[in-house]
Amino acid sequence: MSGGPRRGYVPWSIVALGGLAIVAAPWVIGEGALRFLSEAMLMLAMAQMWNLLAGYAGLVSMGQQVFVGLGAYSLFFASISLNIAPFWVLPVAPLVCAVVAAIVALFMFRLREAYFAIGTWVFSEVVSLLVSKTDRLGGERGVGLPTARLIDPRWLEPLTFWISAAIAIAAVFGTYALLRSRVGLGLMTVRDNDVAAASIGVDVWRNRFIAFVIAAAGCGLAGAVSFTATLYVAPGFAFDPNWVVAMMIIVIIGGIGTLEGPIVGVIIYFALREALTVFFGLSAGWYLIGLGIVAIAAILFEPDGLWPLLRGHLGGDWLSVRREPPAPPRIATVTPAVEGVRSSASGLGATPGDR
Amino acid sequence: MIWVETIVNGVLYGGLYGLLGVGLALIVGVMRVVNLSHGEFIVLSAFIGVSLLGVFPWIHPLVLLLPVAVIAFGLGFALQAVLINRVVTRPDPFAAILLTFGVAVVMRNLMVEVYGADLRHLQAGRLAQASTGIGDLHVGVLPLLILALSIALFTALQLLLTRTRFGRIVRATADHRDVVRLMGVNPGRVYNLVMGLSLALASVAGMLLAIRASFSPYSGVERLLVAFEVVVLGGLGSFWGAMFGGIALGVAELVGLRLDPNAGPLYAHLLFLVGVLLRPNGLFRVRA
Repeated sequence: MSGGPRRGYVPWSIVALGGLAIVAAPWVIGEGALRFLSEAMLMLAMAQMWNLLAGYAGLVSMGQQVFVGLGAYSLFFASISLNIAPFWVLPVAPLVCAVVAAIVALFMFRLREAYFAIGTWVFSEVVSLLVSKTDRLGGERGVGLPTARLIDPRWLEPLTFWISAAIAIAAVFGTYALLRSRVGLGLMTVRDNDVAAASIGVDVWRNRFIAFVIAAAGCGLAGAVSFTATLYVAPGFAFDPNWVVAMMIIVIIGGIGTLEGPIVGVIIYFALREALTVFFGLSAGWYLIGLGIVAIAAILFEPDGLWPLLRGHLGGDWLSVRREPPAPPRIATVTPAVEGVRSSASGLGATPGDR
Repeated sequence: MIWVETIVNGVLYGGLYGLLGVGLALIVGVMRVVNLSHGEFIVLSAFIGVSLLGVFPWIHPLVLLLPVAVIAFGLGFALQAVLINRVVTRPDPFAAILLTFGVAVVMRNLMVEVYGADLRHLQAGRLAQASTGIGDLHVGVLPLLILALSIALFTALQLLLTRTRFGRIVRATADHRDVVRLMGVNPGRVYNLVMGLSLALASVAGMLLAIRASFSPYSGVERLLVAFEVVVLGGLGSFWGAMFGGIALGVAELVGLRLDPNAGPLYAHLLFLVGVLLRPNGLFRVRA
C-alpha cells in the first residue's frame, strides 16, 4: 500500500553505544554530572509529554505541574505508609496521575483552547492548596522521604540516573509508537482540521483523552523520580508553575509538534542554564528572563522551533511520524509533463501530517 | 449578623475582582486572545504605584490611579503593536497564548530582580481604616468607594463601546476583522487601543487591590487566574457578566475564609470549577 508508514532510521550501532554509555555512566562521570544528567532526562520526558499534548493533541495544558506534584506525593505517601523503598512503588505515581487525569478530563474537555489551558491551571492551584492544608501530607512544610535509607546510598544516584534515562527513552519512543498508531493518526488529523477529522469518523474526544491520560502518567512518573532524588517534597516545589514554564519553553525552542524538538530544546535549555548561572554567575531569575526572551523570539521568528532548521542541515527522516499520502488522482493527466511531476512528488518534503 | 457582613464584604471585594477581569473580557471579546500576562501587568501597575509613591511620598495613592492608568495604556499599546499583532492573525490559536505566557515569565522575573520578592502593600492612610454602617452592619469606606469606582468604570466602558464612534469601530472589528478593512479601519491599530484600554483598566484594579491586599512579583499568577475565572463565569466577552462573576468569586472567597481561615483563594477556585462543570458557557451569559 502506498500509504504505508516510512520507517524512522536509527542505526543499531548507535542504539547499542547509547545503551552502553547509559549503563557505564555512573562509573565514568562524577556524582554532580550524574545528577545533572538525571535532571535533564526527566525534564526531557516531561517536555515530551507536554509536546504530545500541545503539538499533537491540540491541548495546551498550563496545569501540567499538577501531575508532577501528584506523582511525587503519591510515591512519597505509598513509600512511607508501606515502608518500602521508593523505587519499588514507582508505578503508583503514573497510576494515580492517570486516574486523576481521566476524571479531570471529563469536565476540563468542556473548555476549549485558552480556556482549557487556564482551567487546568486552576485545577492545579486547587490541588496545591488542598495538599497545603492536609496535615497528613505534611501541609505547607512538606515531607521528607525517610524510606530512602532502604536503598544502599552508593546506589541511589546511579539508580536514579538509570531510571531517569529509561523514562526519557520511554517517553520519546513511546510517543513515537503512539503517534505511529491509529490513535496518533487520529490526533494529527484532529490537530490539522478537527471538523474534517470528525466528518470522516475520527473520535476527537477519545483520541485527546488518551493523550491527556498518557501525558499525565508520564509527568507523574518523571515528577516522582525527580522528588525521590531530592528526598523531600513540598507543595511550593511540587506544584510550581515553573515546571510547565520549563516544559513549554523547551518544546517551543526545540520545535513543537516534532519528536526531536524536545531533545534539541532540553540540550539548549540546560546549556543556557549552565552558561548563564555557572559561567556568568547570574541568578536563576535572569536565566528565566533569558529563556523567556528566547521563547518569545522563537514564537515570533521561528514558530516551528530549531529542529526543522537542523533537520534541513542534517537531512534524513529521524523520528518522523510522517506517512506518505496515497497519490492523489491527477486531473491533468493528459499533459505529458505530469509524469515528471509525479515522480518528484515524494521528494518535495512538504507532505502533510508532519510539522 | 456576621454572615451578612461577610457577604456584604464579599460583594464589595468582588466588585474589585470584576474590575480585574473586565480588561481581560474586553481582549477576549474583541480579539479572541487570552492575554496570559494580564496578571503580571496588574502587579506591575501596583509596583509602578509604589515607585511613584517613593518619588512623591505626599501624594495619596488614589490620586495616582490616573497617571498609572496612562502608563499602563502606553504599555498595553506597545505590547500589542510590537508583539501580539505579529501573531494574532496566525491560524494557530496557540501562538498568542504562548507568546503572552513568554511575556509573563519575563515580566515576573524582571519584577523579582528589580523590586525583590518581598510582600508589598500600598498605604492609603486613614481612609483605609474608616468605616461606616447601618445599625450593627459595619463596612469600610474604602471598599465602598472601590465598588462605586468599579461600577463607574463598567458604565463608562459600556457607554464607550455602545454609544461612541470608537466603540462602533471596536465592535465591528471584533465581528469582522477583514470586512472593516474595506471601511478604512486598520484592525491592528484598533487592537493596540483595545489592549491599552484593557491594561489601563487592569492597572486601576491592580492599584486598588494593592491597597486592600499585599502583593509580590509572584502574585501575577493568582491575579490572572482570578481575572480569567471572572471572564469565564461571567460568560465570555460579557462585561456585566464579568461584574457578577467577580462578585460571586468575592463572596465565595470571603465566606470560605470565614469557614476556614487558611483556605486562601481555594473556595473561589472551587466555585469556578463547579461553575465550569455545570455551565461551561458562563453563569451570566448574555450573548456569544
